Formats: sequence, structure tokens, C-alpha cells
Amino acid sequence: MTTQELLLDANGITKYFAGVVALNKVQLQLHRGEVLALIGENGAGKSTLMKILLGMYKPDAGSITFKGEPYQAKDPGEALRKGIAMIHQELTLIPTLSVAENIWIGRENNFKSRGLISNVKRLKATKNLLEQLGIEGIDPGEECGRLSIASMQLVEVARACSYDSDVIIMDEPTSAITNKEIETLFTIIRALAKKQKGIIFISHKLDELMEISDNITVFRDGHYIDTNPSKSITTEELVQKMVGRKVENLYPKEEVPISDVIFEAKDLRQIGVFENVNFKVHKGEILGFCGLMGAGRTEIMQAVFGITKLDGGQIFMHGKAIRNKNTMEAIKNGMAMVTEDRLRMGLIHMLSVEFNTSIAYLDKFTPNGVLVDTKKERESFHKMADTLAIKVTGPNQDAGQLSGGNQQKVIFAKWLTGQPDLLILDEPTRGIDVGSKAEIYKLIGKLAAAGKAVIVISSELPEVMGISDRIEVIRHGRIVHECLRKDFDENRLMSYAFGTLS
Amino acid sequence: MKSSNKYDSSKFIEIFLNNKAIFILILMVLIAQPITRGMFFSYANFSSVARQISTSLMIALGYTVLLGTGSMDLSSGNMVSLLGIVFALCTLRTPLIFAVIITIVCGCMCGFLNGYIAMKFRLAPFILTLATGQIYNGLASLICGGTTVAGLSSNVKFIGQGLIFGVIPISILFALAVALVISILVGRTKYGRHVLATGGNKDAARVSGINTFFIKVSGFVALGLCCALGAIVLTGRVGMAVPSAGDLFTLDSIAAVAIGGTPMHGGKAKVGGTIVGCIIIGIISNILNLCGVSVFLQWIAKGVIIVVAILLDSGSETFFKEQQRKASAV
Repeated sequence: MTTQELLLDANGITKYFAGVVALNKVQLQLHRGEVLALIGENGAGKSTLMKILLGMYKPDAGSITFKGEPYQAKDPGEALRKGIAMIHQELTLIPTLSVAENIWIGRENNFKSRGLISNVKRLKATKNLLEQLGIEGIDPGEECGRLSIASMQLVEVARACSYDSDVIIMDEPTSAITNKEIETLFTIIRALAKKQKGIIFISHKLDELMEISDNITVFRDGHYIDTNPSKSITTEELVQKMVGRKVENLYPKEEVPISDVIFEAKDLRQIGVFENVNFKVHKGEILGFCGLMGAGRTEIMQAVFGITKLDGGQIFMHGKAIRNKNTMEAIKNGMAMVTEDRLRMGLIHMLSVEFNTSIAYLDKFTPNGVLVDTKKERESFHKMADTLAIKVTGPNQDAGQLSGGNQQKVIFAKWLTGQPDLLILDEPTRGIDVGSKAEIYKLIGKLAAAGKAVIVISSELPEVMGISDRIEVIRHGRIVHECLRKDFDENRLMSYAFGTLS
Repeated sequence: MKSSNKYDSSKFIEIFLNNKAIFILILMVLIAQPITRGMFFSYANFSSVARQISTSLMIALGYTVLLGTGSMDLSSGNMVSLLGIVFALCTLRTPLIFAVIITIVCGCMCGFLNGYIAMKFRLAPFILTLATGQIYNGLASLICGGTTVAGLSSNVKFIGQGLIFGVIPISILFALAVALVISILVGRTKYGRHVLATGGNKDAARVSGINTFFIKVSGFVALGLCCALGAIVLTGRVGMAVPSAGDLFTLDSIAAVAIGGTPMHGGKAKVGGTIVGCIIIGIISNILNLCGVSVFLQWIAKGVIIVVAILLDSGSETFFKEQQRKASAV
């Protein structure tokens, strides 16, 4: 594709924040009709560069040429007018407005008829747009708040395409969508590339990148590393470039003796969500749960942990029947849960990391039953920070300031403060860079070796297969398949998850 | 790390915004003496300000806990009116200690009703407490027949007017004692941690095994309790109870908490800041009084000053967010 016309050319881009270098003379070249993947660990500077392209930051040095002319935008609106659109990682749709209203927001004048906005025209334009892109099953008149996350993501894509921009930046567009929508998205991307647009695709999922992109640019610690054609590079090489060292084995699997049953679920049922769910977890075992998004994995675990209510069934810890009416009881019964949604249900962002670490087991630090022993609390924090290698400036740093990987470690620290017997980990590595992922996997392995029972839910099959001793496949709220580590087979597991095998 | 001028000035702004209440207080004390033509610095004046702010300080302390849990209550003034009447009527019929206990129990009940209804039925506390405040106000007038309850014993008046060692108003000591208890409660107990966790992120707190419903309701109860204490001191100071006695306290105490740096969205509770905030509000009224400004002008002036204080508060928040955004982008 290098024969194509150069569309966007950024050179020597440097950006400081409060005296710290975020980007150090990085470059980026995008040609017409090219899909360029941009990868790097969290904090490598990908987002900063994208924000410079969008005009949210001003570069301290360097030049950008766009369509052969010097380019600078003062805000995302201007960037859009000049022909650079971005699909953000976080959803930016307004939930109370319809799909059509969201897509054409700010361009209502296009649909003026006799001084008023014609909703009919707008709906028609939306329908055409969605059809053209091959997006099915989304009603232009539907309120966005009622759509699934995956559908919302597709609406975002449609909106970005509707500007007919020359450059479309996609920041982790696949983090919340299922394989079916990923296919739709890839079809859209290929069509855009055929129309001579340039696409910058940011993602942590390497397999996807390899499939969709023409070239891959790697950033590390604010530096440009290199750019390679996707066809001539392996995932191992990419990981090595990103991390700067060789990640020997992403999934270090320790041999741990598996003994007594720690937790058992019998006939769990939540009407309309899941039913007939039976499983056991043993001491030292890592039990993986896979399945499509929305299959009911998270819902089952949330009910087990007392976040939501079970409509039927029994749960046992160490062979004794228990009931978790709320999370407090679940914790008392020796359970802990790292939730899927770190932002909403994990950390308390505005409070310190130390506060976040001690909050679940404060009884441990209140020996006289009244006052918190802050000295003991601090000691425990430092011990945890050392064991888990959490990077913080100090115990009083706000949890919200940490990177994704470190935030996740703080959540692990919170639960490990209390020595639970069963850990439920829901998407423990979502949105975390490769280096931190490897650390988290190692930690999970250590927990199992220490005699804990671990349940891991994950949407990434290689991940579940890499760390689990046994896997349960969930589909439509039921366990449809169970298999042991020696029988793991990606295709079979996928087929069960999609229902082509049963 | 490279240190530039820009960085230093942002550091200075950060220090200023973190402790703005203290800076405002110092500034006010400096200008107070000249503009009151020398009437400000006197024992009599200080003692009177101290007595005046005891009530609003107690209520503001209640708000510090409630705002920490991330809720709001607009009925505190009405609760103070009602509880003042309840207290006054009780002292006429029962020994003082029973009157105090009954008032405190009633205060907790009022707060509990606000909190329980709001949380159980997931109503917006703003609207709900405006409505319940109206109920408490009506009840106050109803039980005293709409008139003043006077003829209180000297013991009652001692609570609001008395001096210890002949110099320190006893009411401000009560208020400071409450402040001490609440500051320990918030900073050092499990309950306090749970309050801040709930206010900081309710869902995360729940996953961490905190009974967020209980914590949320308890914040309202804490405010009700503090309103009862405030009403007792107020009734003692005025020497009688009127059904409109609490009217102005809602704004004064919320403003004091805001100036003190406790955010309106929960997760933080700054007891020291609340004390400073109350002193600031108290001194504003005092200066305006000493200058002989009419009551109506005083209301306007106070409103303006509070708006400025809250602007500073949100300004500091925007500033911090900006800093955090930059820090996280690195």
C-alpha cells in the first residue's frame, strides 16, 4: 500500500506535561486506503498523539502535514471539519436522544425544511447510512440508552463515518463488542479503506490487529519504535517491541495440586437470566468461565457474591450451605470478587490507594472495635504494595490517578488483605497493557498455589485457556460445556459458545 | 523533573485552593477592624459571635457527615424550628435532661424519616426533604399554636448563654465537642470509612461489603441529631422558641460546609474546614451588623459572598481535574 498517496504525516512530535515528556519526537505516517494499527502499552503515548491530532493538546514541537498542507486544529470540532474523526474508547452518545439524533448531532441544519428540522428526513438519512455500512438490527428512532453496549459502539462508528472524513481514528473500538459485531466493524473498515480513507486502529487485541491492519506502528514510553507490515511480523515480536523485553511466557501455568472442593453451586437460577447452573471449584484450582458477552457469566457470579439476588438454588462453602444475602455476608463467608467494571464497581477514585486497600476488611485494623489503627493499616498497605509491585507515589495518592494495571492491582490488594478462600475475577485484565497482564496472570497462579480457589471470567479465549485448569462454557444462561485443561481446544470452545455445537 | 515557572504557580494555586477557607478567614479578620471602626476586636463581640455560631456549627457538622455520604437534605432549618419548639415545651413539663433526650430522639426520627423514605423509594433527597421540611414546619406551628414558647427556666438559658470560668460561652464548647467527636468518627472509625467510601462510589462500596443503605440513611440521622443539638443551644440562647427560629440555618450551614471544602458530591468530609466555614459566615453577619447594614441588605450581601465562595470551590475542582487529566495523560 506504500504506493498510495501520503495522507497524514506527523514528524518529530514532542509533548511535555508539567515538565515530563509524554511524547518524544514520535512520527506517524498514514496513506490513503491504509489501515494502520497503533499499539503500545498504556501510557506509551498513543492517546496523547491522537489528542494532538484532534486538537485537544498542542504539541510542543514537531510538524503535521495533512493532505499535503500543514495541519493544526484548535479543537475536535475543527479537526472534524478538516477531515479527522475519532471514535473514542468511552461511549460519547447521549442516552436520552435517538440513534438518528445522536448521529447527526450538531448538523441538524442539514434536515431543515421550512425552518424546522424534519425528523422524517433525518431518520431516512440514518437508515441509508446504516444500510450502506451494513449495520443491521438498529432502529434509527430508538433511544440510545436502550441499546446494548455493542450496538452503541456501532452507532459511534456510524457517526464517525457520517462525516465522510479522510482519517478515522478508532480507539479500542472492539473492547465491548462481540465477535459478530467485530465482523461488521471489520467489513466497514475494509469498505472505508477501499474508498481511499485512512484508518488508525488502536487496540490491545493483537490477533484482531493482525487481521485488519496493513501496517503496525509501535510506541513505547513516549517513543516511536518502528512500523512493520502486518503480514511480516508475529505477535511475539510485537509484544517484545511493546514491552521492550521478551515476555517469556504470557501464561505461566504452575502445577498446583488440586484437592478438596471449596465452593459448590447447585441449580442456581435467576429468572430470565440463568438457570440450572451447577459447578464446583477446588482448592488450588483455577476455573475459567467463557462465553459470549451477555451469556450470563457476570450475572451468575454477581448473584453468587450477593450483589444481586438468586431466585433458586444453593451454594456451599467447604461443604456447608450458605446464603449470601448481600456482599457483606459473601465476604464473611470467605469470598472476594474483582468486578468487571473497574470504574463503576471497583475503585473509589477520589480516595487514596491506602483507603481503597483497607476498606473491605477494616475489622482487621480495628483491634479495640472503635478506632482504626492507622499504623497497622499503613503497614499492611506497604506490604501489599510491595508484594503486588503496585506503582504509587505514596499511600495518599488518589486511586483514580493510577494506570489501569495498577488500579487493578489495588483492587487485588484490597481483597488479599482479607485472605479469602475463593476469589471471583471478572475480566481481570480488561483494558490493561500486556506487561501488566502478565503480572496479573502470575499473581493469579500464585493465589492458586497458595491454596485458594479461583474463578476467572474472561471474554478472551487465549487468556482463559492459558490460565485455567478447567473451563465452563456459558451460553444463554446455562453451562453448555465443561472441559479439562488437557482437552482445551479453541475451536470447540468457540463452537459451544456460539451454539453451533451442543 | 523539570521545574518551570508555570509549574510553581500551579503549585501555589493548589495550596491556596486547598486551604482557601483559612485564607478567606485571615483576609476577613484583617479588614474587619477598620471597617467596623474598631468594634470588631473586643471580648464582648467575640463572645457574642461564638454564641451565635454554635447552632449553625452543630448543624453544619451534621451536614459534613451527610454530604460525606453523598446525599443532601434541605429540611434542616425546619427541623431546628420543630425541635426547638419540642425542646421548649418539654422543659416546661419535664426535667431538663429528659427534655434534651426527647429532643435528640425526635431529631433522629426526623432525619431517619428523610433518609429512609428517600433511600427506600429512591427519591431525589432534594425534593423529598423540601416536602418533609414543610411538614416539620407545619408540625412546629401546630404543637405550639403558632406562637412563642416563653417562660423557660434559667437552666435552659444557661445552655445557650452561660459562660464557663466567666469567659468562655458554654454553647461553643458544646459545639466544639461535637466537632471533635465527628472528626474522630469520620477520620478514624470503620463507620467513617464506610461513609466516605459510600459517598465516593456507592457501587464500589457495596461490592466491598458495605451496607450502603444503612450508611446513606445514617447520614440523614446524623444531621437530624445535630439539628436537635443545634435547636437546644439556639432555644437556650434566645430564651424562647418560635416556629420560624430555624428558617435561615439551612443556607448558612450548607454554605459553611461548602466554604470549608467538603464537596457537594460526597466522598470527603472536612470537619476542620466546616469549623472555619462557620466562623467565616458568623463573622460576615457580625461585620455587617456592626456596620449597621440593614437586615435586608445583609441577606443580599451574604448571598453574594456565598456564591463567590462556592464559585471558588468549583474552580478548585476544575483545576484539580485538569491537573489529574494531565498527570494521567503522561
